[in-house]
Amino acid sequence: MGSSTGRGPRLLAIATAAVLAVGVSACSSSKSSSASGGSGKSGGSFTYWSMWRQDEPQAKVIQAAITQFTADTGIKVDVQWTGRDVAKKIGPAMAAGKAPDMWDEGEDVVYGAAAQNGNAKDLSAVLDMTIPNDNEKVSDAIPSKYWDSLPKDPSGGQHWIVPYEASTAGIFYNTADPGVSAAMASQPATWDDFINVCQALKAKNEPCLASEGEDSWTNGLWFDYLLNAAGVNFNDLASDKTGAAWDNPAVLKAAQQVEQLVKGGYIIPTYTQTKYPAQQTNWAGGKAGFLMNGNWVTAEVAKQIPSTWKYGFMLPPGATQPDSMIFGFALTKNAKHVSQAEQFMAYFLQKKTLSGISTQADNITPRTDIPAPPELATVQKTLDAPKLRLTFDGVAGDWTTKVWNQNYLDFWHGQIDAATFISKMKSAQVSFWKSQS
Amino acid sequence: MSTATIQDSSRARRSRGGSAPRPPVGAAPLERSRRRMFWAFTAPAVLVYFVLFLVPVGYAAWTSLYKWDGIGPKKWKGLKNYQTLWQDPTFRHSLTNTLKILVVGGVLTFAFAFALMLILREMNRKLFARSVLFFPCLVNAMVFGIAAGILFSPTGPVDKILEALGWSHPPQWLATQHLSTMILGTLIWTATGYYSAILMAAVDQIPEYLYEAAELDGANAFQRFRHVTLPMCWDVISVCAVLWTVSSVKIFELILMYGGSSGSQPPAGSWNTAMYVYTEAFPTASTPQLGLATAAALVSLFMVIIFTVVLRRLLRRDPIEY
Repeated sequence: MGSSTGRGPRLLAIATAAVLAVGVSACSSSKSSSASGGSGKSGGSFTYWSMWRQDEPQAKVIQAAITQFTADTGIKVDVQWTGRDVAKKIGPAMAAGKAPDMWDEGEDVVYGAAAQNGNAKDLSAVLDMTIPNDNEKVSDAIPSKYWDSLPKDPSGGQHWIVPYEASTAGIFYNTADPGVSAAMASQPATWDDFINVCQALKAKNEPCLASEGEDSWTNGLWFDYLLNAAGVNFNDLASDKTGAAWDNPAVLKAAQQVEQLVKGGYIIPTYTQTKYPAQQTNWAGGKAGFLMNGNWVTAEVAKQIPSTWKYGFMLPPGATQPDSMIFGFALTKNAKHVSQAEQFMAYFLQKKTLSGISTQADNITPRTDIPAPPELATVQKTLDAPKLRLTFDGVAGDWTTKVWNQNYLDFWHGQIDAATFISKMKSAQVSFWKSQS
Repeated sequence: MSTATIQDSSRARRSRGGSAPRPPVGAAPLERSRRRMFWAFTAPAVLVYFVLFLVPVGYAAWTSLYKWDGIGPKKWKGLKNYQTLWQDPTFRHSLTNTLKILVVGGVLTFAFAFALMLILREMNRKLFARSVLFFPCLVNAMVFGIAAGILFSPTGPVDKILEALGWSHPPQWLATQHLSTMILGTLIWTATGYYSAILMAAVDQIPEYLYEAAELDGANAFQRFRHVTLPMCWDVISVCAVLWTVSSVKIFELILMYGGSSGSQPPAGSWNTAMYVYTEAFPTASTPQLGLATAAALVSLFMVIIFTVVLRRLLRRDPIEY
């Protein structure tokens, strides 16, 4: 009984996983950067699965860095542009012993899929490394608040990721939209003010909000921020095994505020009937005033917005701390080429290399000396806050899938009211934690 | 009778001089050689079946008794994973959805397939019609998932046509509360063509004179179906029913494509047991629960076995030879 770590059965167990997870990528795995001349300075190689698809701008920035890195150090990087599916593939791949040395994802995925079980290597050594050419330590270039906001792995460490892209989420709008500027002279200070803005837009037959109705993440940000405004920690709420935390009147109030948006008819009418990115496109086309999303949305709609468009950004009134999400590199537990991969992490954080994330990929970097793209200047200021808070206070994974998604979507689609939403969440959460014990 | 056989056999032995290996009692030469070859021919198949099916199932059953993320050490849980499944409302709901697809989907698919059998047998250009009907099952489920977003959007062709026909408020096809219905509809649409093709192959074998005789006796189209077609291809129907049972329980790519948005799983209300197994084994941003996943897979397997056995019993008829 107890534990079994026998190698034979494990090999058998991974057969299916290996076929599913590695099979697809195996075909292209020989595509190592063998072309690089390499001056043979330190040599070696490491493998890397990226969360970006090859055609995404981030992939192009990282690829350019890899090419230069190999030329400078002689270290070859065997990279696979896996895309977001890396989140599902990395676990089975680690189980099958086929995982790469390095991979990257959002901090929530790296924690959920690896770090929380001690399957991500501690990268404290990288923080002490000197960034080539810039001659400053990694820990000096990247503010420590990015690590301080992270949950701890089983050994109590927070350095299981090295961030290269920082982001937050909030309400985006076009300040040049005459409807919006007429309805909102200045950014609303209270929730009621915001509802009044929505009401003014509605009076002119312009929907206040665009929303991808199927997406519980972006739509859930409303509830997340309103809980924050009410002083409720989302993670405490979600991890309460008794469900009693849902009885807090502040939670009901936040739900009722969300309900105002739904019942008030302020959301674009077709929002429950479409698939991503239909409503984001509508918003970029000026068919709705505001959109709640992560700041990557500006890069996503860059080709759709008219040249007259001027970005405005705000948090829901009352929210005290901006959401923070970082994307970064992590090492798998059994990574073999640790030193080579760590060298690359420090190398990629060079000011001139990392600037590509801002200039080419139109996103924000965690380095304060790299300016954000102009449209995200105000967003970057939000991230200057001394303390950051993870999106949904770090809640991710199974709870989201089994407790949150369906109930929140029902609520957001107006099928259940705030009180029913609270009671359904409470009972689903109690069942969930019971099944997890 | 038995005495006679023994005598026969001993006589035969004597006649060969008693040197031949002793044959099994009561076996004719042909039977004997068949028996000798039985294991030689079946052993490879049995071996493959054992290694590729029974061993993994056995291993899955063993894994289902542990809590295991696939990487770290296993933790003994006994039957607690099954208890967890029972207590998990998501799994209970998934089980209900699986049964709904199996029963409602099955009844409707076969109702349509029978209706098509009735029509297709007697229509002109039936081969062309059959090809058209069969076509949807050649298309990858992922295509449906993606195409649905375009076809059924409020500005898509389906709503435009319905509005042109005077239906001012068509249903919200893609709304999450209609997800299960849309999935079921697509499933029935693709499966009907598939099962019609198999059933029509059986119908083609029915001698034409039986229909002519029925027609002379004054049977109408439905009566000809009821008294000639149905009994004559009953065996094929029962095989199709089993095929449907087995395949309907395994469907999950349709659910994933219809319900999944960028990066997140479909809402739990639309899951079936296969989808449940998938999300437990390949979760986004959390730890794989292989013990729970294999337990859920075994529950599905058990359900398929029960349904298959019951179906085979219910559909058993004396074979008709013609």
